[in-house]
Amino acid sequence: MVNTKDLEAHFEFECKACENGRCAKADVNSILSERKGLRDFYEAFKEHIKGCKRMTYGQYQFVIDREVLPEAVLWWHNHPEFKETHLSTAVGTDERPLNGHFVYMPFLNVQVEFANEPENYWVFLRTYLLADDPSFPSVAEKLPAALWIEREVKDLLGFKPVNHPDPRRLILPEDWPEGVYPLRKDMDYRHSPITEPKVEFKEKPEDTTLVPMGPAHMGIEEPAHFRLFVKGEEIVDVDYRGFYSHRGIEKTGEGRLTYNQVLFLAERICGICGYQHSVSYAMAVERLADVDIPDRARYIRTLLLELERIHNHLLWVGIAAHMVGYDTGFMHAWRIREPVMWLVERLTGNRKQYGMNIVGGVRRDILDYRKEEILKVVKQIREGTKTFLDVALNTNTFIKRAEGVGILPYKVAKAYSVLGPTARASGRKIDVRKDQAVKTATAYNEIDFKVPVYKEGDVLARVLVRMDELFESLWMVEQLIDQMPGGDIMVPIGKLPEYEEALGFTEAHRGEVVHYVMTGEKNKVYRWKVRAPTYNNLPAVPEMLKGYHVADAPLIIASIDPCYSCTERVQFVDVNTGKVKVLTEAEFNELSIKYKGVF
Amino acid sequence: MAESASYTEKLKRWDRFKAEKFSKKAPVTTPYPFIDIEKPPEYRGIPHINPEKCIGCGACVNACPPDALIMEWDKEHGVKRLTYNAARCIRCARCIEVCPTGAMEPTTRFEVATDNKEDLVEVVEHKLAYCEECGEYLDFTERQIEYVRNILPKDVFDAYALEDRIKLTQEEKMRRTVIKLRETEGNVYPAFMLVRETKDDGGEE
Repeated sequence: MVNTKDLEAHFEFECKACENGRCAKADVNSILSERKGLRDFYEAFKEHIKGCKRMTYGQYQFVIDREVLPEAVLWWHNHPEFKETHLSTAVGTDERPLNGHFVYMPFLNVQVEFANEPENYWVFLRTYLLADDPSFPSVAEKLPAALWIEREVKDLLGFKPVNHPDPRRLILPEDWPEGVYPLRKDMDYRHSPITEPKVEFKEKPEDTTLVPMGPAHMGIEEPAHFRLFVKGEEIVDVDYRGFYSHRGIEKTGEGRLTYNQVLFLAERICGICGYQHSVSYAMAVERLADVDIPDRARYIRTLLLELERIHNHLLWVGIAAHMVGYDTGFMHAWRIREPVMWLVERLTGNRKQYGMNIVGGVRRDILDYRKEEILKVVKQIREGTKTFLDVALNTNTFIKRAEGVGILPYKVAKAYSVLGPTARASGRKIDVRKDQAVKTATAYNEIDFKVPVYKEGDVLARVLVRMDELFESLWMVEQLIDQMPGGDIMVPIGKLPEYEEALGFTEAHRGEVVHYVMTGEKNKVYRWKVRAPTYNNLPAVPEMLKGYHVADAPLIIASIDPCYSCTERVQFVDVNTGKVKVLTEAEFNELSIKYKGVF
Repeated sequence: MAESASYTEKLKRWDRFKAEKFSKKAPVTTPYPFIDIEKPPEYRGIPHINPEKCIGCGACVNACPPDALIMEWDKEHGVKRLTYNAARCIRCARCIEVCPTGAMEPTTRFEVATDNKEDLVEVVEHKLAYCEECGEYLDFTERQIEYVRNILPKDVFDAYALEDRIKLTQEEKMRRTVIKLRETEGNVYPAFMLVRETKDDGGEE
């Protein structure tokens, strides 16, 4: 950990890590020479860099001036050598109680070379914003990946992205009053004001017809409101309004819970990729406390992550079959999936929401006799899936609907920083399991697997990528069982260091899950930022929809495997959909008083 | 202890398909809720407080992520109340892990649907211990003190003179220490210094 130059002189705050002796006063030059590209960046933005430090292994942070933020982000994103570098997300923090400034910090996953584990790294670009004028130049103008990120910090923290192309409300409900920012530290987590709803929808283009889809998506049965502007049958433009299941999870985690309690909340962010969130969060805290967890715990975590991936991919392929009207496939996929759920129930105690993790390891050991059972299930699933794919991929209903539909070109995928199988189906060779495998909470660096990549970019390619991954996962489970080391399953972590930051990540079945944790005092979490993969994939959906028919829309949307509750993480309240008039609170109260006792 | 070995054997042999109910009926669909559904023995259901073992220490309350367990002090009536609400419970079983006496017992029950919310609540009330000197209620329950008596080695008891002091309020303990120090040291220190010192001493227990 290093602080350079005149950081203190600029901002009048002390590095708390230095006080605790954790911050080794390492030399800037040695840090810059650790990874390829860091020094080039330093040379290019020399006058604007106020400091640089290594947060933890493979995670580097630069403190830069806010004026050059877009240039700095684009410098990394469009780096000619690091082709697959992408803007992961950005964190906005209210650090006014600490140093009187807001912090806006985009971070990028820099892929120096695919699967070159010790070379790839994360870059955090920290900018301090003034407390009375939290504005910064918008990156979204040139990079669509930042569209949602900037709208989010505008909603939740009141930052002002200057020249943002689409500054509408994204996360907060329509009846949330202006000027109330839930993630600021001076707001209590129980406060929830309501005013008259104000709806901001995109203008309908000339000569088009509006086809509303939602607010509940058919098939996935989750809330998302797409407004398709169609000419005849063809989709011309799309407007998206989501975040109906925003639950304020980040705020709750920062407000009341200790670090071990947040873990269980993290697992409940998502119904089907819960364990990925749990591992990511645990990893962030472990990295920040500088603890290496026992090997056996890492293997058990990896095993469960892969079992989760297997049943999720089977679930998804079932839904895809259902979407194209091939319900036999749906039934069979879910029938094949069920033994995994039963197996996991026996290993962990629950079908979903395993509750297996604790910061520092896992809670239940995999007993030896269970290994046979796991191998039995793996064999059964491999045979079942092979038969299923034989049938499904020779069914015309399925192929004709999926082939050549919803094409996402490589360039668009890169510009939107699309992740996971959606990106790999468009030719992006990225996978955090391979890219950033050293010193994680998992054992991916010690086992062998391939990362399937397809170039077609249509729905069929997304099906095939996922099915290939499923077979890789089965192979990984077998290896993990084979190589599982003995020993402890957890190390206790006592007190956490104060005001340290670290990032935890895993490759969920939809893409990389990122948990950023900054600790506060007394073992609490000061800032906890969750970014689920759908958050990056969903903004690209309108691009996929354009030019295709309305009938394909549900399938195309489902093809990224969207998970709305993951993405939205946050709070109650239904809104005016534009179709039906929703009662105001006053009207509702009036009616309920009038008809009291009648219904 | 022979029981536990047979339990492991039972775990090994448990198989969803071989379970008796499924061999007699169709393999997938069952007339649930009219039969008792087969659950694996490892299943984490809602926990249950065994009032006979509970000492009211509140370890479970500190660990519980969703506040399903709540601790209240009623010093007027000398009662410490531990409330468990299954409606808030997320079945993470952290309370079972941290319980020092094994009073939190795991079950495989998962059906908590009810038309009366009070069915979901378990309340355990503990008698608070009271001060031998002034008669005020302490923060601890009688069982907690009993438990401490049982587990602490005798050296520790002697070193801190706990036998005399364990059932006293904080103020009473401080007062006694002051008196004792005055006696032994001939009151060479001003009183406020003594009070501060004894405060630290009391906190260690």
